[in-house]
Amino acid sequence: MLPNLRLRLANRPENVLVVRQALTGVAECLGLDAVETNDLNTAVTEACNNVVAHAYGGAEGPLEVDLQTGPDVLAVLVRDHGIGMPAARRVDHDGLGLAVIDALSRRAEFLQPADGGTEVRMEFAPGPKSASLEPIGASGEELSLPNHGSPREGIDLQVASSEMARAVLPRVLSVLAARAYFSTDRIADVQLVADVLAAKAGESITGSYLDVSACVAPRDLELRIGPLQRGHGESLLAAAADGLAPVIERLTDEQHRVALIGHSAETLELRLVDQRR
Amino acid sequence: MPSVATRPQRTVTAAPRDVSELFVRWQRDRDPAAREALVRQFMPLARSLARRYGRSSEPFEDLLQVASLGLLKALDRFDADRGAFPSFAVPTILGEMRRYFRDSGWAVHVPRGAQERALKVRDAQERLANEHGRAPNANQIAEYLELDIEHVIDALQAVQAYDTLSLDAPRPRADGEVVAYGDTLGEDDERYELVELDATVSAVLGHIPPRERAILRMRFVEDLTQTEIAQRVGISQMQVSRLLRRSLEQLRTLTQE
Repeated sequence: MLPNLRLRLANRPENVLVVRQALTGVAECLGLDAVETNDLNTAVTEACNNVVAHAYGGAEGPLEVDLQTGPDVLAVLVRDHGIGMPAARRVDHDGLGLAVIDALSRRAEFLQPADGGTEVRMEFAPGPKSASLEPIGASGEELSLPNHGSPREGIDLQVASSEMARAVLPRVLSVLAARAYFSTDRIADVQLVADVLAAKAGESITGSYLDVSACVAPRDLELRIGPLQRGHGESLLAAAADGLAPVIERLTDEQHRVALIGHSAETLELRLVDQRR
Repeated sequence: MPSVATRPQRTVTAAPRDVSELFVRWQRDRDPAAREALVRQFMPLARSLARRYGRSSEPFEDLLQVASLGLLKALDRFDADRGAFPSFAVPTILGEMRRYFRDSGWAVHVPRGAQERALKVRDAQERLANEHGRAPNANQIAEYLELDIEHVIDALQAVQAYDTLSLDAPRPRADGEVVAYGDTLGEDDERYELVELDATVSAVLGHIPPRERAILRMRFVEDLTQTEIAQRVGISQMQVSRLLRRSLEQLRTLTQE
């Protein structure tokens, strides 16, 4: 089964916060209560911390989190492509992580796929709204997860439900804006841009997933949104106007449309800076 | 066996053999000294679980007490023939904390701690903006309030979720004068009307209250920052943020109809 949400990031400690904010958004979107949200967040945090601390033997590598939801299950898969799970990793620094995952999830499996790395698969109570998630792309279309190389320096988020995008994107981009030392004014602008993208981009994407990758530097946040149907970068900028001054154009510092080679598609690249010191 | 610490700060880690001996002395002989030694031995476990599970919750000390209670239950129920104590204790202690959250209504209300933090973040944002003449960043707020950055980010989002959270409540301004919701916009609201509107949008904008229309104009036409708008209108920047997000959401819904 394909996920509703996929996050790909480097296994750095600060990225666990990105995952946690994404999950909080998911929980909100699915109607989980505070205890269920806390269970979900705590268990997945343990799995991610394990990847941060142990998966690549001190080196850096990708951390992937897939989330898949339906009426009977909310499944989260935390995956790495590292050294597998030797005995030393099973008992993490204080031997509690995996026990915590076991205790807080309905079911947990620790797998070592043949092609290497480790997968922790967890299941939780799905929440009252799980079954009613609207797909983001054209209905009836075959789901396919765009598979490009590992994300640039930064994080990559793919989401297949518009409701989930609305709940997750502002939170994830807020974390990144905070990491870029943006002022609260500028963080709030980023949230407005995220709201527009989550609400409007679904009409413009080529497939079933809205793919947003982000690159963070001090006072600088770059977003790449796609893959969009050709010509839709412009209409996304315009559609986002809501009859007012165009929200995205007003709140971002640069906008570029980049054609994807060999495809009849393009991406929209946005850059936000915070010049106030 | 190692001597039991007399000073509470001192950590004594007993060997596994000694731990099972302590369990025998407590569970069979009801020796309170053995129980005390076990509590001391495994308190770091309870503390660690409270910290992991309670990140976004009540005061830590409250939660630690609940975790300790879970630890005591686990000490009573542990069957030494069935593996190591920690793997038995983890679900017991977590179960105790979950039950506490359920029973205290934490599951259905916005946790008290989170609400209080959102208000603190709102006030800190305002104070730091006044002091420095520009909006602070999230790290500066976190440092100022000695909060985790995650809590600040939660608070910056929280204004969306906590409609009941009284960000609109009357509160004193810097000059001490109390300003109530919406009071600060006079009768000349119409001058804030947005320009260059097509017919659809004009019709749609009619559904947006005057104050929100004014704020939209200040942000998107006059290009004021949210902090500047907050000062002009007499509300917090977080509330400006909430009103902008809500108004744009309303406009999106209305123009789609």
